[in-house]
Amino acid sequence: MFRIPGMGLAKGMATTLIRFFERKATVQYPEVRQDISPHHRGRLVLLYDEWGALKCETCFQCAQACPIECIDMGGVDTKNRYHIHWGPPEQYAERREESALRRSGRPVPDRTFIPFDPIDVGPLDRILEEEDYDPGHMLAILEKTQAAYGHLPVAALKHISHATGAWYAEIYGTASYYEHLRFELPAGRRIGLCRCPSCTLLGGGRLREALEAAAGTSLPGTSPEGALSLEAIDCHGDSPTEPFVTLDGEARQGVTPASLAELATSLRAAAARPGRA
Amino acid sequence: MTVMARPWRRLTPTGRIAVPLLVLLVLLGLLGFLGLVTGIIPGLVDFVLRLAGANPGIVRFIVAAVAVLLLSIPIAFINGYAELKVIALMQSRIGPNRVGPFGTLQAVFHGFKMLAKEDFTPLGADRPAFTLAPVVVFLTVVLSFLVIPFAPGLYGADLNVGLLYFFAVGGLSVVGLLMAGWSSFNKYSLLGGLRSAAQIVSYEIPLTLSVVGLVMLAGTMSLNGIVEAQGGQFWHWYVFQQPLGFAIFFIAVSAEANRTPFDLTEADSEIVAGYMTEYSGMRFGFFYFAEYVSLFIISALTAVLFLGGWHAPVDIHALASFFGLTVPALSIDPGSLGVGLLLLITLGPLIGTLLLTVPVALWRTDWSIWRALLVGFLLFNVAVGALITIYAYVASEVVAGVFWVMAKTFTLVFVFIWIRTTLPRVRVDQLMAFAWKWLLPAALLNIFVTAAAIVVLS
Repeated sequence: MFRIPGMGLAKGMATTLIRFFERKATVQYPEVRQDISPHHRGRLVLLYDEWGALKCETCFQCAQACPIECIDMGGVDTKNRYHIHWGPPEQYAERREESALRRSGRPVPDRTFIPFDPIDVGPLDRILEEEDYDPGHMLAILEKTQAAYGHLPVAALKHISHATGAWYAEIYGTASYYEHLRFELPAGRRIGLCRCPSCTLLGGGRLREALEAAAGTSLPGTSPEGALSLEAIDCHGDSPTEPFVTLDGEARQGVTPASLAELATSLRAAAARPGRA
Repeated sequence: MTVMARPWRRLTPTGRIAVPLLVLLVLLGLLGFLGLVTGIIPGLVDFVLRLAGANPGIVRFIVAAVAVLLLSIPIAFINGYAELKVIALMQSRIGPNRVGPFGTLQAVFHGFKMLAKEDFTPLGADRPAFTLAPVVVFLTVVLSFLVIPFAPGLYGADLNVGLLYFFAVGGLSVVGLLMAGWSSFNKYSLLGGLRSAAQIVSYEIPLTLSVVGLVMLAGTMSLNGIVEAQGGQFWHWYVFQQPLGFAIFFIAVSAEANRTPFDLTEADSEIVAGYMTEYSGMRFGFFYFAEYVSLFIISALTAVLFLGGWHAPVDIHALASFFGLTVPALSIDPGSLGVGLLLLITLGPLIGTLLLTVPVALWRTDWSIWRALLVGFLLFNVAVGALITIYAYVASEVVAGVFWVMAKTFTLVFVFIWIRTTLPRVRVDQLMAFAWKWLLPAALLNIFVTAAAIVVLS
């Protein structure tokens, strides 16, 4: 199709000129009031972005702020593992299609309804005792739990929720916010890199770039063949002179970007099956 | 003072303004009377008149400078208001409508706000340059005002290099912008200043070249001469003989005056406020002032160069003589009415008001008779004002010229604001590439084609 140059300009100018003569959208608020119900509190709408994805970030702030608890949020996490819910349990709504299925008596295909693996709660109880069952110490509890079990199992989170009284959604929110907390056991060898500002200023950014390039994934993540996982950790001020790097949980000193890349490459090569190029 | 204090406190606010004014008036009257009686005032007037008669150039200069400075104030306010209102209307909003009728005083109150704010100089700023920069910017704008002809004989100066003067003085504004950017002691200001300098210097070249063809056609660089060369009907305007030149000129001049889509110098969303980041109070206001006046001036220059200046689109006399007719000349000499004039002045308003009140009172029977009278009086004023304006337009070519120049100029101001509402800002590399790769060759092409046409046609 032949395009006339300047046609877009002309169209735009025409649009603005037409708007110039059109009725105005402004409502002169204090003098003129639109006819709305006195009970109107605005509409609750979930917005979608231009790609059709839901814009809601599940931050639970609307449910938290709602004064009469008419907003409650529920759902599952992105991998269909945990039910998340904010609000009193009696309002725990289920998805419409599931509700019909469940009333029909047939089993509901929902991974989150498969019972999670039980764990030995002994170490967790000791941790909770140390932290005085205080939900304000949630980060410390979660970090110690991860240190004890290697990751954060669902059973542990449920147990923490019962013991401290914190809502499961709050605990899940805390756990999913911090990059160094994980819900699954890492695969293969683990290289940890501290992401705190101090370590970043000491050259952590260059280490991260080299590491990510060598491992073929971004931090936190697992390399494509699964032999190496990168995890974001926190040095808690233990390493004042250089970026804090760990291999399988053991701290390593004197790491340079080159040596770290070499380490990552050798770890991946060692796990590679012989015979492959 | 205590004698004065009690009556002063009893006065209403209006009285506190009126009483001193009355006292001043009485004192001035007394002085005037004494001056007249002793012959000092007639002597002074005679001296000033003789001095002025001996030096018409100086008188013209002083009058022009004062007129330009005084005119720039309402022009800036009108443009500021138009900018707010037109953009709002084009965005389906109402725009300013609270201060004054239809919000017309909004821009004035913006000016007062600027005056009331603290005029702050940053620590480490180059004080003289920082203080002078707004003055330089404003001065360039006001100086380029001087050569624009508004009507036959109504101009500051008719230079034979008027166009060159306009571009030279307009180009000086770069100095002001750079001064502002440099002296602010702020990297964003410096960046904005250098950016604006690059932009304005680049667009100066196509701007100057785009009018060369026009100058060749007119055979003069005097703006007066250019307007006179466009006399006749509207197809004699240079916009129809130099369409390419007009397009280049329009684009380049909007870049010169920092109008959107070329308003990178003060791109609010990108570099804070460009070269005027550190400015506040009235010095900041002066930049805006200069901008609005320059909007008027570039519009006026475009009207003068390409749209026939003070000439009406259709010359009625030429049109009538083409059909073998003559337009009757309107000649009313008020002095010839004699006693009738006296009667007209005394009884005209009374009878006119009463005549206009009758239909108003019949139309709105619920109004009181006083209200109907007031409306009738206002209607009478409007009618007489319109009649006087029409009479002045027909009787005086200066009034007609000013009318057409202003009509064309404010139409162009509207177009500039319209463009600003519509188009997004261009990127800095697009801006530069457009000036050097497209506008400059197009301007050269325009010159060659015009020259060839002149050679072939003559």
